[in-house]
Amino acid sequence: MTQAPDNPFEAMTTEEVPHHKKAKKDMEPAKMGLNFTSMIDVIFQLLIYFVLTSNFAVGEGVITAELPRGGAAAASTEMPDLKLNIVLSHLNVYDCIITIEGSSDRIANFTALKQTLEDLQFDPSHGRHSGAYKPDDPVIIKPDGETRWQHVVNAFNASIAARYKNISFAQARSE
Amino acid sequence: MSKIHKRGSKTPEMNMTPMIDVTFQLIIFFMLVNNIVSSENVQLIPPDLSNPKTVLFEDENRIVVNVAPKIDEDFKSRQQGNPLNYPGEATGVVLFGKEYQYDQLDQITAILKDSAERSPKDKDGKPTVSVLLRADAALYYTEVQPVMAAIANAGITTVHLVALMPEDKR
Repeated sequence: MTQAPDNPFEAMTTEEVPHHKKAKKDMEPAKMGLNFTSMIDVIFQLLIYFVLTSNFAVGEGVITAELPRGGAAAASTEMPDLKLNIVLSHLNVYDCIITIEGSSDRIANFTALKQTLEDLQFDPSHGRHSGAYKPDDPVIIKPDGETRWQHVVNAFNASIAARYKNISFAQARSE
Repeated sequence: MSKIHKRGSKTPEMNMTPMIDVTFQLIIFFMLVNNIVSSENVQLIPPDLSNPKTVLFEDENRIVVNVAPKIDEDFKSRQQGNPLNYPGEATGVVLFGKEYQYDQLDQITAILKDSAERSPKDKDGKPTVSVLLRADAALYYTEVQPVMAAIANAGITTVHLVALMPEDKR
Protein backbone atom coordinates (compact mmCIF):
# COMPACT_ATOMS: atom_id res chain seq x y z
CA MET A 1 0.00 0.00 0.00
CA THR A 2 1.46 3.23 -1.02
CA GLN A 3 1.54 6.15 1.38
CA ALA A 4 -0.49 9.19 0.48
CA PRO A 5 1.63 12.34 0.03
CA ASP A 6 1.36 15.19 2.58
CA ASN A 7 0.30 17.65 -0.08
CA PRO A 8 -2.58 16.24 -2.08
CA PHE A 9 -1.49 18.15 -5.25
CA GLU A 10 2.16 17.22 -4.97
CA ALA A 11 1.94 14.22 -7.19
CA MET A 12 -0.33 15.82 -9.70
CA THR A 13 0.94 17.15 -12.98
CA THR A 14 -0.29 20.42 -14.37
CA GLU A 15 -2.94 18.61 -16.31
CA GLU A 16 -4.20 16.98 -13.18
CA VAL A 17 -4.86 20.24 -11.23
CA PRO A 18 -8.59 20.75 -10.84
CA HIS A 19 -10.14 23.31 -13.16
CA HIS A 20 -11.28 25.79 -10.50
CA LYS A 21 -7.81 25.97 -8.87
CA LYS A 22 -6.11 26.51 -12.24
CA ALA A 23 -8.35 29.48 -13.15
CA LYS A 24 -7.59 31.24 -9.86
CA LYS A 25 -3.88 30.78 -10.34
CA ASP A 26 -3.90 32.28 -13.89
CA MET A 27 -6.05 35.27 -12.99
CA GLU A 28 -4.09 38.53 -12.72
CA PRO A 29 -4.60 40.71 -9.67
CA ALA A 30 -7.46 43.18 -10.17
CA LYS A 31 -6.20 46.51 -11.56
CA MET A 32 -7.07 49.65 -9.64
CA GLY A 33 -8.05 52.51 -11.86
CA LEU A 34 -9.72 55.90 -11.68
CA ASN A 35 -12.74 56.54 -13.78
CA PHE A 36 -11.60 59.54 -15.76
CA THR A 37 -14.76 60.10 -17.74
CA SER A 38 -16.55 62.44 -15.35
CA MET A 39 -13.38 64.39 -14.65
CA ILE A 40 -12.75 64.90 -18.36
CA ASP A 41 -16.34 66.06 -18.76
CA VAL A 42 -15.87 68.75 -16.13
CA ILE A 43 -12.48 69.77 -17.46
CA PHE A 44 -13.86 70.21 -20.96
CA GLN A 45 -16.72 72.30 -19.64
CA LEU A 46 -14.22 74.53 -17.83
CA LEU A 47 -11.98 74.75 -20.87
CA ILE A 48 -14.83 75.75 -23.16
CA TYR A 49 -15.99 78.35 -20.64
CA PHE A 50 -12.58 79.99 -20.38
CA VAL A 51 -11.91 79.86 -24.12
CA LEU A 52 -15.21 81.59 -24.81
CA THR A 53 -15.01 84.20 -22.09
CA SER A 54 -11.37 85.16 -22.60
CA ASN A 55 -11.04 88.73 -23.75
CA PHE A 56 -7.79 89.59 -25.44
CA ALA A 57 -6.79 93.06 -26.54
CA VAL A 58 -5.85 91.86 -30.01
CA GLY A 59 -4.40 94.33 -32.46
CA GLU A 60 -4.10 97.30 -30.15
CA GLY A 61 -1.15 99.66 -30.17
CA VAL A 62 -0.32 103.07 -28.80
CA ILE A 63 0.57 106.56 -29.98
CA THR A 64 2.54 108.51 -27.43
CA ALA A 65 1.30 111.97 -26.50
CA GLU A 66 2.79 114.63 -24.27
CA LEU A 67 0.37 116.28 -21.89
CA PRO A 68 0.95 119.78 -20.62
CA ARG A 69 1.85 119.78 -16.92
CA GLY A 70 -0.88 120.79 -14.52
CA GLY A 71 -3.83 119.93 -16.74
CA ALA A 72 -4.86 119.28 -20.27
CA ALA A 73 -5.31 122.92 -21.13
CA ALA A 74 -3.30 123.90 -24.13
CA ALA A 75 -2.59 127.43 -22.99
CA SER A 76 0.96 127.95 -21.83
CA THR A 77 2.90 131.14 -21.23
CA GLU A 78 6.03 129.71 -22.82
CA MET A 79 4.47 128.75 -26.12
CA PRO A 80 5.76 130.59 -29.13
CA ASP A 81 3.35 132.64 -31.18
CA LEU A 82 3.33 130.38 -34.21
CA LYS A 83 0.72 127.78 -33.33
CA LEU A 84 -1.06 125.44 -35.66
CA ASN A 85 -4.59 124.84 -34.43
CA ILE A 86 -6.65 121.98 -35.80
CA VAL A 87 -10.32 122.62 -35.15
CA LEU A 88 -12.70 119.67 -35.03
CA SER A 89 -16.45 120.27 -34.93
CA HIS A 90 -18.90 117.42 -34.77
CA LEU A 91 -21.18 117.06 -37.77
CA ASN A 92 -23.08 113.86 -37.05
CA VAL A 93 -22.51 110.52 -35.38
CA TYR A 94 -19.95 109.41 -37.95
CA ASP A 95 -18.23 112.59 -39.16
CA CYS A 96 -16.72 115.84 -38.04
CA ILE A 97 -15.69 119.05 -39.76
CA ILE A 98 -11.90 119.52 -39.92
CA THR A 99 -10.43 122.99 -40.36
CA ILE A 100 -7.16 124.73 -39.65
CA GLU A 101 -7.74 127.83 -37.55
CA GLY A 102 -7.36 130.96 -39.65
CA SER A 103 -8.41 129.18 -42.83
CA SER A 104 -11.96 128.78 -44.02
CA ASP A 105 -11.16 125.72 -46.14
CA ARG A 106 -12.77 122.55 -44.92
CA ILE A 107 -10.52 119.50 -44.98
CA ALA A 108 -12.23 116.43 -46.37
CA ASN A 109 -10.74 113.68 -44.21
CA PHE A 110 -7.77 112.81 -42.05
CA THR A 111 -5.62 111.67 -44.96
CA ALA A 112 -6.14 115.12 -46.48
CA LEU A 113 -5.38 116.68 -43.08
CA LYS A 114 -2.03 114.91 -43.04
CA GLN A 115 -1.28 116.26 -46.52
CA THR A 116 -2.30 119.79 -45.49
CA LEU A 117 -0.14 119.62 -42.38
CA GLU A 118 2.81 118.48 -44.50
CA ASP A 119 2.23 121.35 -46.94
CA LEU A 120 2.23 123.81 -44.06
CA GLN A 121 5.53 122.50 -42.74
CA PHE A 122 8.95 123.97 -43.33
CA ASP A 123 11.41 121.12 -43.07
CA PRO A 124 14.19 121.22 -45.70
CA SER A 125 15.57 117.90 -44.47
CA HIS A 126 12.42 116.24 -45.78
CA GLY A 127 12.08 118.44 -48.86
CA ARG A 128 9.36 120.63 -47.41
CA HIS A 129 10.06 124.24 -48.26
CA SER A 130 6.58 125.65 -48.78
CA GLY A 131 5.25 125.94 -45.26
CA ALA A 132 5.77 128.29 -42.37
CA TYR A 133 5.56 125.88 -39.45
CA LYS A 134 8.59 124.02 -38.16
CA PRO A 135 8.18 120.43 -36.90
CA ASP A 136 8.80 121.70 -33.35
CA ASP A 137 6.06 124.32 -33.50
CA PRO A 138 3.07 123.44 -31.36
CA VAL A 139 0.10 121.78 -32.94
CA ILE A 140 -3.03 122.07 -30.84
CA ILE A 141 -6.06 119.92 -31.47
CA LYS A 142 -9.22 121.81 -30.56
CA PRO A 143 -12.26 119.57 -30.62
CA ASP A 144 -15.71 120.58 -29.50
CA GLY A 145 -17.32 118.64 -26.70
CA GLU A 146 -19.30 116.26 -28.87
CA THR A 147 -16.50 115.30 -31.22
CA ARG A 148 -15.95 111.56 -30.98
CA TRP A 149 -12.68 110.31 -29.50
CA GLN A 150 -11.97 108.47 -32.77
CA HIS A 151 -11.74 111.80 -34.64
CA VAL A 152 -9.56 113.39 -31.96
CA VAL A 153 -7.06 110.51 -32.07
CA ASN A 154 -7.24 110.54 -35.87
CA ALA A 155 -6.23 114.23 -35.93
CA PHE A 156 -3.42 113.43 -33.50
CA ASN A 157 -2.30 110.54 -35.70
CA ALA A 158 -2.32 112.76 -38.80
CA SER A 159 -0.11 115.28 -36.98
CA ILE A 160 2.31 112.53 -35.95
CA ALA A 161 2.32 111.19 -39.51
CA ALA A 162 3.16 114.70 -40.79
CA ARG A 163 6.20 114.62 -38.43
CA TYR A 164 5.09 117.28 -35.97
CA LYS A 165 6.59 116.72 -32.55
CA ASN A 166 4.79 119.04 -30.18
CA ILE A 167 1.12 118.09 -30.29
CA SER A 168 -1.34 118.76 -27.52
CA PHE A 169 -5.05 118.80 -26.81
CA ALA A 170 -7.08 121.84 -25.91
CA GLN A 171 -9.97 121.99 -23.50
CA ALA A 172 -13.24 121.08 -25.16
CA ARG A 173 -14.75 124.04 -26.95
CA SER A 174 -18.30 124.88 -25.94
CA GLU A 175 -20.40 125.60 -29.00
CA MET B 1 -3.59 28.08 -28.14
CA SER B 2 -2.08 31.52 -27.91
CA LYS B 3 -1.95 33.46 -24.67
CA ILE B 4 -4.24 36.17 -26.02
CA HIS B 5 -6.99 33.72 -26.72
CA LYS B 6 -6.56 32.19 -23.30
CA ARG B 7 -7.23 35.56 -21.62
CA GLY B 8 -10.14 36.41 -23.85
CA SER B 9 -10.72 39.57 -25.84
CA LYS B 10 -9.75 42.81 -24.10
CA THR B 11 -11.58 46.12 -24.77
CA PRO B 12 -9.22 48.68 -26.35
CA GLU B 13 -8.53 51.74 -24.15
CA MET B 14 -7.22 55.19 -24.92
CA ASN B 15 -4.37 56.50 -22.85
CA MET B 16 -6.00 59.57 -21.35
CA THR B 17 -3.02 60.85 -19.37
CA PRO B 18 -1.38 63.14 -21.98
CA MET B 19 -4.76 64.56 -22.99
CA ILE B 20 -5.60 65.41 -19.40
CA ASP B 21 -2.16 66.96 -18.94
CA VAL B 22 -2.61 69.23 -21.94
CA THR B 23 -6.18 70.12 -21.00
CA PHE B 24 -5.14 71.11 -17.49
CA GLN B 25 -2.37 73.29 -18.89
CA LEU B 26 -4.89 75.01 -21.16
CA ILE B 27 -7.34 75.58 -18.32
CA ILE B 28 -4.65 77.06 -16.09
CA PHE B 29 -3.47 79.28 -18.95
CA PHE B 30 -6.94 80.61 -19.71
CA MET B 31 -7.78 81.14 -16.04
CA LEU B 32 -4.64 83.18 -15.43
CA VAL B 33 -4.75 85.13 -18.67
CA ASN B 34 -8.43 85.87 -18.26
CA ASN B 35 -7.86 87.39 -14.83
CA ILE B 36 -4.90 89.47 -15.96
CA VAL B 37 -6.63 90.73 -19.09
CA SER B 38 -9.95 91.49 -17.42
CA SER B 39 -8.26 93.52 -14.70
CA GLU B 40 -6.60 95.67 -17.35
CA ASN B 41 -8.99 95.72 -20.23
CA VAL B 42 -12.58 96.76 -20.31
CA GLN B 43 -14.81 95.74 -23.18
CA LEU B 44 -14.54 98.66 -25.58
CA ILE B 45 -13.57 99.43 -29.17
CA PRO B 46 -10.47 101.64 -29.46
CA PRO B 47 -10.23 104.18 -32.32
CA ASP B 48 -9.60 102.72 -35.75
CA LEU B 49 -7.38 105.26 -37.49
CA SER B 50 -6.66 106.03 -41.12
CA ASN B 51 -3.02 105.19 -41.81
CA PRO B 52 -2.28 104.58 -38.11
CA LYS B 53 1.13 105.27 -36.60
CA THR B 54 0.45 103.04 -33.64
CA VAL B 55 3.20 100.84 -32.27
CA LEU B 56 3.07 97.81 -30.00
CA PHE B 57 3.72 98.54 -26.38
CA GLU B 58 5.68 96.44 -23.91
CA ASP B 59 3.70 94.93 -21.04
CA GLU B 60 6.10 95.84 -18.30
CA ASN B 61 5.44 98.58 -15.76
CA ARG B 62 2.34 100.00 -17.34
CA ILE B 63 -0.98 101.23 -16.02
CA VAL B 64 -4.05 101.06 -18.24
CA VAL B 65 -6.69 103.71 -17.66
CA ASN B 66 -9.91 102.63 -19.36
CA VAL B 67 -12.67 105.05 -20.19
CA ALA B 68 -15.60 102.72 -20.51
CA PRO B 69 -18.63 103.34 -22.69
CA LYS B 70 -22.12 102.37 -21.70
CA ILE B 71 -22.40 98.62 -21.24
CA ASP B 72 -23.28 96.91 -24.46
CA GLU B 73 -25.55 93.91 -24.32
CA ASP B 74 -24.52 92.82 -27.79
CA PHE B 75 -20.84 93.73 -28.12
CA LYS B 76 -20.20 91.37 -31.06
CA SER B 77 -22.78 93.07 -33.29
CA ARG B 78 -21.29 96.45 -32.42
CA GLN B 79 -17.86 95.23 -33.47
CA GLN B 80 -19.25 94.22 -36.84
CA GLY B 81 -21.07 97.50 -37.43
CA ASN B 82 -19.80 101.07 -37.19
CA PRO B 83 -18.49 101.51 -33.63
CA LEU B 84 -19.28 105.23 -33.72
CA ASN B 85 -23.00 104.49 -33.89
CA TYR B 86 -23.19 104.37 -30.12
CA PRO B 87 -23.93 106.72 -27.21
CA GLY B 88 -21.01 109.05 -26.51
CA GLU B 89 -21.38 109.12 -22.75
CA ALA B 90 -19.06 107.07 -20.57
CA THR B 91 -20.08 105.08 -17.51
CA GLY B 92 -16.87 105.83 -15.66
CA VAL B 93 -13.15 105.23 -15.57
CA VAL B 94 -11.76 101.78 -14.83
CA LEU B 95 -8.36 101.53 -13.19
CA PHE B 96 -6.92 98.26 -11.82
CA GLY B 97 -10.32 96.59 -12.26
CA LYS B 98 -12.20 99.19 -10.19
CA GLU B 99 -14.64 101.66 -11.67
CA TYR B 100 -14.55 105.33 -10.67
CA GLN B 101 -17.15 107.96 -11.46
CA TYR B 102 -16.26 111.36 -12.87
CA ASP B 103 -16.59 113.00 -9.46
CA GLN B 104 -13.91 110.59 -8.17
CA LEU B 105 -11.21 111.55 -10.67
CA ASP B 106 -9.09 112.96 -7.83
CA GLN B 107 -8.78 109.37 -6.57
CA ILE B 108 -7.37 108.34 -9.95
CA THR B 109 -4.91 111.22 -9.74
CA ALA B 110 -3.86 110.07 -6.25
CA ILE B 111 -3.41 106.43 -7.35
CA LEU B 112 -1.37 107.43 -10.41
CA LYS B 113 0.74 109.84 -8.37
CA ASP B 114 1.45 107.10 -5.83
CA SER B 115 2.33 104.60 -8.60
CA ALA B 116 4.63 107.14 -10.27
CA GLU B 117 6.41 107.85 -6.98
CA ARG B 118 6.93 104.16 -6.23
CA SER B 119 8.07 103.18 -9.72
CA PRO B 120 11.77 103.08 -10.59
CA LYS B 121 13.16 106.33 -12.00
CA ASP B 122 15.17 106.81 -15.16
CA LYS B 123 18.46 108.75 -15.29
CA ASP B 124 16.58 112.07 -15.52
CA GLY B 125 14.61 111.23 -12.38
CA LYS B 126 11.37 110.71 -14.29
CA PRO B 127 9.19 107.73 -13.28
CA THR B 128 9.43 104.81 -15.69
CA VAL B 129 5.79 103.85 -15.28
CA SER B 130 3.76 104.24 -18.48
CA VAL B 131 0.13 105.25 -18.53
CA LEU B 132 -2.02 103.94 -21.37
CA LEU B 133 -5.26 105.81 -22.01
CA ARG B 134 -7.70 103.32 -23.47
CA ALA B 135 -10.94 105.01 -24.45
CA ASP B 136 -13.78 103.91 -26.68
CA ALA B 137 -13.84 105.38 -30.20
CA ALA B 138 -17.43 106.57 -29.82
CA LEU B 139 -16.92 108.62 -26.65
CA TYR B 140 -17.38 112.38 -26.69
CA TYR B 141 -14.21 114.38 -26.22
CA THR B 142 -15.73 115.87 -23.05
CA GLU B 143 -15.72 112.37 -21.53
CA VAL B 144 -12.03 111.73 -22.21
CA GLN B 145 -10.51 115.16 -21.65
CA PRO B 146 -11.13 115.25 -17.85
CA VAL B 147 -9.36 111.88 -17.61
CA MET B 148 -6.35 113.29 -19.47
CA ALA B 149 -6.39 116.21 -17.05
CA ALA B 150 -6.49 113.79 -14.09
CA ILE B 151 -3.45 111.94 -15.50
CA ALA B 152 -1.58 115.20 -16.08
CA ASN B 153 -2.44 116.36 -12.54
CA ALA B 154 -0.62 113.28 -11.22
CA GLY B 155 2.57 114.68 -12.73
CA ILE B 156 2.57 112.21 -15.61
CA THR B 157 3.25 114.17 -18.76
CA THR B 158 3.50 111.31 -21.22
CA VAL B 159 0.38 109.33 -21.99
CA HIS B 160 0.04 106.56 -24.54
CA LEU B 161 -3.20 106.70 -26.48
CA VAL B 162 -4.49 103.25 -27.35
CA ALA B 163 -5.75 102.71 -30.90
CA LEU B 164 -5.97 99.76 -33.26
CA MET B 165 -2.85 98.67 -35.06
CA PRO B 166 -2.58 98.90 -38.85
CA GLU B 167 -4.69 96.17 -40.45
CA ASP B 168 -1.72 94.14 -41.68
CA LYS B 169 -0.21 94.00 -38.17
CA ARG B 170 -3.31 93.00 -36.20
